Amino acid sequence: MATLRERIEDFLFHEAKLIDEHRYDEWLALWTEDCLYWVPCNSDDADPARQAMIIYDNRARLDERIYRLTSGAAWAQQPRSRTRRLISNVEVRETDGGYAVESNCLIAELRRSRQDIFAARILYTLRPAGDSFRIALKKVLLLNNDEAIDNLTFLV
Amino acid sequence: MTTNGSVDYDALVREDRIHSRVYTDQRIFADEMERVFHRGWAFVGHASEIPEPGDYRLAWVGRYPIIMVRGADGEVRLLSNRCRHRANTVCQLERGNARFFRCDYHGWMYRNDGTLASVSYPEGYDRSFQKADFGLIPLPRIATYRGFVFGSIAPDGMSLVDYLGPASDQIDLFCDLSPLGEIDARGGIHKYSYRGNWKLQIENSMDGYHPNFVHKSFFGMMGRRGIKTPTRHFGGTSIAVTRDFGHGHVMLDYRECNRSGQVLNVVQGGEKYRAAMEARYGAARANDVINSGGTHLLVFPNLVMIGVQLRVIRPIAPDYTEVYLYPTLLKGVEPELNQWRLRGHESFFGPAGFGAPDDLEMFERMQVGFQNDLDPWMILSRGMHRERREADGTRVGHVTDEVTQRGIWREWRRVMTGRDDDTQTAEAPPLLAAD
Repeated sequence: MATLRERIEDFLFHEAKLIDEHRYDEWLALWTEDCLYWVPCNSDDADPARQAMIIYDNRARLDERIYRLTSGAAWAQQPRSRTRRLISNVEVRETDGGYAVESNCLIAELRRSRQDIFAARILYTLRPAGDSFRIALKKVLLLNNDEAIDNLTFLV
Repeated sequence: MTTNGSVDYDALVREDRIHSRVYTDQRIFADEMERVFHRGWAFVGHASEIPEPGDYRLAWVGRYPIIMVRGADGEVRLLSNRCRHRANTVCQLERGNARFFRCDYHGWMYRNDGTLASVSYPEGYDRSFQKADFGLIPLPRIATYRGFVFGSIAPDGMSLVDYLGPASDQIDLFCDLSPLGEIDARGGIHKYSYRGNWKLQIENSMDGYHPNFVHKSFFGMMGRRGIKTPTRHFGGTSIAVTRDFGHGHVMLDYRECNRSGQVLNVVQGGEKYRAAMEARYGAARANDVINSGGTHLLVFPNLVMIGVQLRVIRPIAPDYTEVYLYPTLLKGVEPELNQWRLRGHESFFGPAGFGAPDDLEMFERMQVGFQNDLDPWMILSRGMHRERREADGTRVGHVTDEVTQRGIWREWRRVMTGRDDDTQTAEAPPLLAAD
């Protein structure tokens, strides 16, 4: 019998694989309708009421992000980024109606002969869905969110 | 192209074309830093970033590291970030608040107005050493317009007001979107870099020909939302125009496309905002300002103002550029309006936005293309036959015409050749009355 943390790790590994394999529709299906995909800008605790974020997608905007990536006209992803990511240091806490999850993530991204490394702490709010989970919140705290970034149009 | 070791800029920049060497040559880049960024006015920052005494932020003017700081006396200064003793930088954090800047090397202390407060173990210096002689060196010139702080390394030159000319009206439109007439440039910063020349960014910012192609995916997305911007604003039948005010200050003027007051339809409390605007500016001006939705302006060489955004371009190498985007907030409005500005900015801009990254991709592809100079010329003739001039000298063309590019290059050549006047006016189209 897998522990809760093992089940959640399996879910995070699955999500990572869907992104790295560009399986966008399957990835979208992991999210709730009231979700938030959030990458803060300048600092981890920047206030969205007062400051711009790198990404602050509600469900409609998340759908548009995938629409754009699959439109054939997102030039910043032509050629597209190849990524491979590691998930580790997973911590799980049960909350009312779900789970607060934290993990570390290291992403190697290769595009046009150049390989970049992105590191992040990722905070999730997961909700149970059948024998799996859905993502209500994914907040990606990039190590370099206050630095100049060339291209973050792949999924983090 | 080169005589006596200097570059012949007249040979590289013609009215209808430019030589691609201007984007790749290390020597030209060095000349640009001296002649464009050091002798002229460069944008540094907005005073709203440092509202309190002691607030500071690091900045650059050309290759000069400086500190933009509000002193204890409330005055904004541009100080050299270099200790007078042995040249260490005295300020390390990008922004903060400080009463003193201390050099960590030997402990010299400067007040936030730049004066030298103390040296360590002063008995080591004789009476000829006067602290008053060793403050942080201020930039030779500083000038502000509506909180926009500009600096110059040259002690003499054109005043900022003369330099801005009619472009200052556009800065007014940008700021007057606030019913208090004040913006707040602390809405976060989208920072990105690209492997391309800095001029690709300023030209592209003022290019009304590219959006339907580079931003096809963005407009496709807007089409799904039922918004028909592409044909109204950017197509061959658009009623928008390009303007060249002189001194390289150029704009895409979409005001005729924006008469519907779109901002009021999407923001909660829009009518309350309109009432506040009318109370401040009167109905006619309020209407003009709201419908303009800001501006779409280049203040040559390094400041772009688009809608809600200030864009600051920093050349680092001929093929490497860093850009900071400041989505601004309006003072005196409901929070929902500012959040609408922020969310709108995110949707297009920043390293993960749905628009701007595709522009950067174009720049990097161009930088590769430059290496093939079998035909090194780039054509900027679009719309020359239909360009016209208004009574004040402003050049006007269709929004897809390269009026703006020609304006940028005319100023670039003027500055790089060191001429005071624009000797190419003979090539300019005849003066026609404004429509």
